[in-house]
Amino acid sequence: MRFEGSERIAAPQAKVWAFLMDPQQVGSCGPGVEAVEPVDATHFRARAKVGIGFISARFVVDMEMADLAEPNHATIKAHGQAPGSAVDATATMDLTAEGAEATNMAWGADVNISGTLASVGARLIEGTAKKMIDQTFDCIRSKLEA
Amino acid sequence: WMPTLAGDTQMVLPTDTVMYQAQEVAGVVATSRYAAADGVAAVAVDYEPLPVIVDPFKALEPDAPVLRPDRGPDKANNHIWHWESGDRAGTEAALQEAEVVVDQDIYIPRIHVASIETCGCVADWNPVAGHLTVHMTTQAPHAIRTVFSLVTKIPENKIRIKTHDIGGGFGGKVPVYPGYVIACVASITTGKPVKWIEDRSENLQADSFARDYHVNIKLGATKDGRLVGLQAKTLADHGYSDAAADPSKFPAGLFNVITGSYDLPKAFVEVDGVYTNKPPGGVAYRCSFRVTEAVHSVERAVDMMAHELGQDPAELRMKNFIRPEQFPYRSATGWEYDSGNYAAALRRAMDLIGYEDLRREQAEQRARGELMGIGISSFTEIVGAGPSHTFDILGIKMFDSCEIRVHPTGSAIARLGVQSQGQGHETTFAQIIAEELGIPAKEITIEEGDTDTAPYGLGTYASRSTPTAGAATAMAARKIRDKARLLAAHLLEANPDDLEWEPGKFFVKGSPERSKTIQEIAFAAYTNMPQGMEAGLEAVDYYDPPNLTFPFGSYICAVDIDRGTGEVKIRRFVAVDDCGNIINPMIVDGQIHGGLTMGLAPALYEEIAYDELGNNLTGTFMDYLLPTALETPAWETDKTVTPSPHHPLGAKGVGESATVGAPPAIANAVVDALWHLGVRHIDIPIQPWKVWAILQEKGVAT
Repeated sequence: MRFEGSERIAAPQAKVWAFLMDPQQVGSCGPGVEAVEPVDATHFRARAKVGIGFISARFVVDMEMADLAEPNHATIKAHGQAPGSAVDATATMDLTAEGAEATNMAWGADVNISGTLASVGARLIEGTAKKMIDQTFDCIRSKLEA
Repeated sequence: WMPTLAGDTQMVLPTDTVMYQAQEVAGVVATSRYAAADGVAAVAVDYEPLPVIVDPFKALEPDAPVLRPDRGPDKANNHIWHWESGDRAGTEAALQEAEVVVDQDIYIPRIHVASIETCGCVADWNPVAGHLTVHMTTQAPHAIRTVFSLVTKIPENKIRIKTHDIGGGFGGKVPVYPGYVIACVASITTGKPVKWIEDRSENLQADSFARDYHVNIKLGATKDGRLVGLQAKTLADHGYSDAAADPSKFPAGLFNVITGSYDLPKAFVEVDGVYTNKPPGGVAYRCSFRVTEAVHSVERAVDMMAHELGQDPAELRMKNFIRPEQFPYRSATGWEYDSGNYAAALRRAMDLIGYEDLRREQAEQRARGELMGIGISSFTEIVGAGPSHTFDILGIKMFDSCEIRVHPTGSAIARLGVQSQGQGHETTFAQIIAEELGIPAKEITIEEGDTDTAPYGLGTYASRSTPTAGAATAMAARKIRDKARLLAAHLLEANPDDLEWEPGKFFVKGSPERSKTIQEIAFAAYTNMPQGMEAGLEAVDYYDPPNLTFPFGSYICAVDIDRGTGEVKIRRFVAVDDCGNIINPMIVDGQIHGGLTMGLAPALYEEIAYDELGNNLTGTFMDYLLPTALETPAWETDKTVTPSPHHPLGAKGVGESATVGAPPAIANAVVDALWHLGVRHIDIPIQPWKVWAILQEKGVAT
């Protein structure tokens, strides 16, 4: 599944970059994220509860930051597992300054979901994912623009 | 690993490589359902994604990953077996010379029986007696007991399979599943009874599937509509293990009955079995060993041929049917059809639906731009496996059995080797005995499904119960009647040859007042038998059918297509069945109504779909749509009666006829409605989105 979009955030690019590179900060905006633990400078592990339709699963997600080109580009690779389900994702983001006080973020993600969540929730995944993405950006914006 | 009924092997639990999504990887034994669920949630498995083969055509490509390296270096590919039947050269020549050839790829999708009760068992090991009792949902309790004994080395007398009442089988409860094995091992390990039951999603995702045949069919004819040859090349997707419940000599079941109801001089069939990353199978789904796949292919091809030639599909069928005087008829692939009158059944169906009027109405509607179609299916089934010279499962011959004991006061118990799953065996078999011995049906107990008491039999599937166990019941009753004649002669002081039978009593020829009822005779069998005669009145029969039975029928379906939504609405559906002599009309009608609904299901709704990563996308009834009363039309049924010449009662099997016959009638109707727009074929299930896309493409959507 491919998701993509762009978001305008009313904050300077350096501030946006710093926020997005801080797993704790970003993690606090992820719906269902319960904990984020750094493993090393570019790896961290998150625990999140995800519900699709009538099923929910507690995922352990290992994430890796790659291709970092501060303050413009990053790639994040994620591999998450829950009992009977797995998710693999590769996401990219590109920041461009829109003047001194605003930043545009172009993002894209390829997501593969397998197991129970794919079987049982197939028809609901896209809608749920969109909702979760919207929630995440709303949260990021509200924290950065505050 | 454990053996499958097809002679392949499948995993009980994988040790390193998982072969398909939803494969069992661990067993959790707990004292309650809740604790078990918590235990399952605590099992952490780190899966490393491997290349996936979903498409059986890709499985055969030279660089495809080998899914079953356990088969050894000689078999470093995903090809399981090749099977062929008929005359290849003759058929190719006939198609070469044919004036018109229909050549069509047809996919008959993977579906699931989805019986109301899922698979499950309670395994109860008695460590003191060294005895295993398994209460389980199986269609073949005796065969299961033998497999269990062979695998576990527990002596067969120390294993008892009890089935109790079963909530639907349809073929899905013939195989042995890992859950049964794990429950038995858990009970042996703990010394406690252990229950295993699937939830709905496990049942849909992990159990044996049905169908999944990729068929290329070629049908040749002369310009005036005489069929001259048929060729079918097929890829059979078996998942990661061939766990079909087909007889040993028939890896593709009875698929070579694909010549159907037609007098086809030449035919050739070849099937290749292939491994993919899907659950092992396949089983029947209320279909005698791949007959649905065959019937769908030939009935679609014949319909296409009629349209190509500009002939009426009914007329083309009438022209090519095997004629009544040709029976017993030997088909081009070697089957000996026992009896049939195909034209009579089709004519009856045409009269019932008012075929000629419907065609006129269709022309009028088409002129108004409305999409209405009429589809015919004139199927021939092949059921009642089977004669021991050709039919066995894991070496066990496919006879079936009945033991009848008449008690001193004249009531009786009959035990059979088959296994009812709701087909009403208790009624049908009691009626056979009532008819043969004159004992009222209500005084006859029918017992099945306890391997400690019932005579050995292969079980109920493939519409085989009446052809095999029904025949055994009649034969056992006739053995009892033969002894009853001797007892009556003794009581009446008459010569046995001077006695005549009417249901319920023997009387002396010419003096009907000198008679003994079966009840009087039964009492005498225990109280007053002649010198030298064994006491008791009982008999057992193991019936080895001389041939299969070939029930048939003609179904006609009229559909209206909603040009806005693509939805197919069945306006009328007429089903004329011929299953030979009928023992109980209500039971037969019940079988046909249920069967028609289970034929409607794959035609319009059901498919086990996978994404390219091998995820099963239809793991619940939200996505795997079973027709309910809302989707099901009012079936109109009727019968013709052409008895089987070799069955003791002239009966044929019927349980699956409607499931086999209905899908092409519906598919033919939909294509008939769209043919003038250039549509030649639509693969089932014909879900609204498929039709909607066609309506959009052809510019006729509203």
